[in-house]
Amino acid sequence: MTTVAHQRPGRIHSLLRLDFWSVVMAVSVIVIGLLLVWPIAQVLVLGFLNPDTQTFTLANYLKVLTHRYYLGALGNTLIVGIGGMIGACLLGIPLAYCTARYVVKGRSLIATLAVMALVSPPFIGAYSWVVVLGNNGWLTQQMKALGMTLPTIYGIHGIILVFSLKFFPFVYLMTESALRNINRSFEEAAENLGCSRMQRLFKVTLPLVFPAISSGAILCFVLSIADFGTPSIIGRDFRTLSTIAYNQYTSEMGGPPTMAVSISMLMIVMSMLAVLLQRHLMGKRRYAGSLTNLTVPKVCHGAFGVLVHALCYAIVALATLPIAVVVYTSFLQTSGPVFTGGFGLNSYARVIQEVPDAIANTFRFSLIATVLITLAGGLISYIIVRRETRLSGLLDTVLMVPYVVPGVVMAIGFLLTFNQGPLDMVGTGTIIVLILFIRRLPYGVRATTSVLRQIKPSIEEAAISLGASPAKAFYKVTVPLMMPGVIAGAMMSFITAINELSSTLLLYTARTATMPVRIYSAVLDGEFGIAAALSTILLVSSGLCVFVVLRFSRSKEGAFI
Amino acid sequence: MAQVQLKNIRKTYGNHVALKDINLDIESGAFFTLLGPSGCGKTTLLRAIAGFHQQDAGDILVDQQSIGHLGANKRNVGMVFQDYAVFPHLSVFDNVAFGLVQQKIPANDLHQRVQAILETVQLGQLADRMPHQLSGGQQQRVGLARALVTRPKVLLMDEPLSNLDAKLRIDLRRDIRLLQQELGITTVYVTHDQEEALSISDQVCVMYDGVVQQVDTPWAIYNRPANRFVASFVGANNFLALEQVTNQGASLLGQPIKVPDNLRGAGRFVASVRPEKLIVNQLLAGPGCEFDGVLQQVSFTGRELQLAVDLPGHGILDALTAPNESMVALRPGQSVRLGFLATDALYFEEGDLGKLLS
Repeated sequence: MTTVAHQRPGRIHSLLRLDFWSVVMAVSVIVIGLLLVWPIAQVLVLGFLNPDTQTFTLANYLKVLTHRYYLGALGNTLIVGIGGMIGACLLGIPLAYCTARYVVKGRSLIATLAVMALVSPPFIGAYSWVVVLGNNGWLTQQMKALGMTLPTIYGIHGIILVFSLKFFPFVYLMTESALRNINRSFEEAAENLGCSRMQRLFKVTLPLVFPAISSGAILCFVLSIADFGTPSIIGRDFRTLSTIAYNQYTSEMGGPPTMAVSISMLMIVMSMLAVLLQRHLMGKRRYAGSLTNLTVPKVCHGAFGVLVHALCYAIVALATLPIAVVVYTSFLQTSGPVFTGGFGLNSYARVIQEVPDAIANTFRFSLIATVLITLAGGLISYIIVRRETRLSGLLDTVLMVPYVVPGVVMAIGFLLTFNQGPLDMVGTGTIIVLILFIRRLPYGVRATTSVLRQIKPSIEEAAISLGASPAKAFYKVTVPLMMPGVIAGAMMSFITAINELSSTLLLYTARTATMPVRIYSAVLDGEFGIAAALSTILLVSSGLCVFVVLRFSRSKEGAFI
Repeated sequence: MAQVQLKNIRKTYGNHVALKDINLDIESGAFFTLLGPSGCGKTTLLRAIAGFHQQDAGDILVDQQSIGHLGANKRNVGMVFQDYAVFPHLSVFDNVAFGLVQQKIPANDLHQRVQAILETVQLGQLADRMPHQLSGGQQQRVGLARALVTRPKVLLMDEPLSNLDAKLRIDLRRDIRLLQQELGITTVYVTHDQEEALSISDQVCVMYDGVVQQVDTPWAIYNRPANRFVASFVGANNFLALEQVTNQGASLLGQPIKVPDNLRGAGRFVASVRPEKLIVNQLLAGPGCEFDGVLQQVSFTGRELQLAVDLPGHGILDALTAPNESMVALRPGQSVRLGFLATDALYFEEGDLGKLLS
């Protein structure tokens, strides 16, 4: 009798718990199926349909893979992807080595500047470089006065420059933390066996951090090939897949966007191949970091010390130059593309007069999306970490998809899916909130998952054995421990949401335009003043979020990767 | 085979003096162990020989040639690390070949030498494995093979067994000693495990607070410790304060006891008696000292019996005896008779580093 009496509350409780988490699981599956799987499937299927007869065909893909126009764009995309990746490595790895191995004064300033470069939208970089090095650019004019002609920013090298400076912080932050976690004995053993400093670097140190470098590099590649704003602002005739997908879509208006969709699939395949290649290269090369016996950064004196500091500061200064330029120009008096001289707030006044909706929209959409991401992210990561079933494993895998689907492609999928019947949301703010939500949900889930994995279940069990109910144990122990990670994740979601351009550009209407959309059209119209003022508002908002993350996150800069 | 000499090695970190003028002569082919508690400077000294720490003053000579100012990569000393430091991105073969590649040994020769040393450390079958597929003991064998294959003049080992479990530690300890004797390589070994140091070494150097306390054979270190620190750190020991030391003699626990001649006079002294020299509930076979204590704990470890006996005013004494069923049955609180022979006691000056008197 007593055993039954003892068991019953437990059984009822576990049933209740099963029910609650099962509901969460079911809702997650439905939401992800509807917002992610279905739109992508639409894109996939449409590429195989003849636009006139609606029958199965491979002709669209054959056209993309044989036509010079498309092949050219494919080649260009590969070039900027690989160029951006290599550029990011060339900046990120030396910077990481310097700050991890030497005592660099102002290391946290360097890291903060790198993070700022990372969280500012890439098109701000493109547009600032136009302000500095464009045809009418400040530096171009200065040099012209001196009789020198600078290479133009427009075209392939400009895009690669912007990507390198924009994405190198991924390589830098990942490589630096890996370098810091190498057990000192490995490098000592290499030295003991006869390696000089240089040999040691190439034979031991770099191979040991290769997993981190390659993760960062692939991220740069994927983001470079997916980026839309930069090539469309400074690409001129240089077209990449994301710009032609956008152009195709806008020109195919009315008919089914078959070609845009086929190009989109090509981009997804490229990103996936890159990720798979990196996984293959890594293979089983996962080297556990060390918690003790770490290398102590060396103090460097004299000319070498100056060199190390100069290198570090030059890299981050160059990377944050666009931010400085944008903020500076926002306070200049302008009339269209012409700076009329002197400082003033007229750009801000015009922003408030002409596009106040954009500011309100951006913050409203982003805030709603962030709240949704944080709640859903927390629940889904709890399922993934604490209730390992085949379905939660599948959920984890499917959530990888947004990483490799460019925003333009996701937007096309949304437009194909939510354009009729009860789900017709085209032109609404809801569709923008939902695309922000689904595109950034994986980042939110990952942020909470990594924190949750570090919280051992035994700590909740300890609370239960001390008399707390399981619900109370979760609320009293696990939630407070998760909070720093959740806050950091939410801030990151918010930053990426307010800066989102590539997906919203296809979805906005006059009523739902956001700041990045307005900046993009202002740049194309030559309204640099408005663009700068709006960009400054975005940068200040992002900066505030970065500040909050740095305050709350234990791993500091690590929260951004 | 090489002789190693350390001359006036000094190393400071800020205000902390890690090594205070260390002078050591290590015979060619000797297994020489640096033993001491953590923070005593033994690892710092080993790393100075390896070249990872530059000493502030002094020199290191191998076969009369100074290596004290060469880079760590030019010293031709092998090193085995506490955490193995087997490169995780290279196979067992490539790990062992690493130093030979640095020396630009031709491929044929290299292959032979790597295979031969892998056979020696019993890893011949595992040449193609990656480190993460190996156990800790196997990884440390790779570390050993990698250090030996370049035929260094000196082998340095930094607590190589401390990350392994107890049984494996003893197996590998035996293998290391056999290999060292076979190759006749001069070896400097760092450990904080005194039993390991005694069992493996030709010479043991006990260090404390950056100073060499005693260099001697394991037998002498254990039986003729130079000072009270060595007596207490190497093996277990009981210390008893002497009373009434006069020119006529001394007394311990109220009984007159014969002490060395140079002990007479002013000052405070202690006697030390090893636990295995304490005799429990038995008559002494010669002149010595006997007293009663209160049993606190009896523990049976299989090979022997450990007793903790409270001696009011002197603290707890440890005694070791052969297992004995009637003694296992003793209960805490019972009175036991302890004694030791005068010849089994050693006498030291008072203080942590009090000198041995004889």
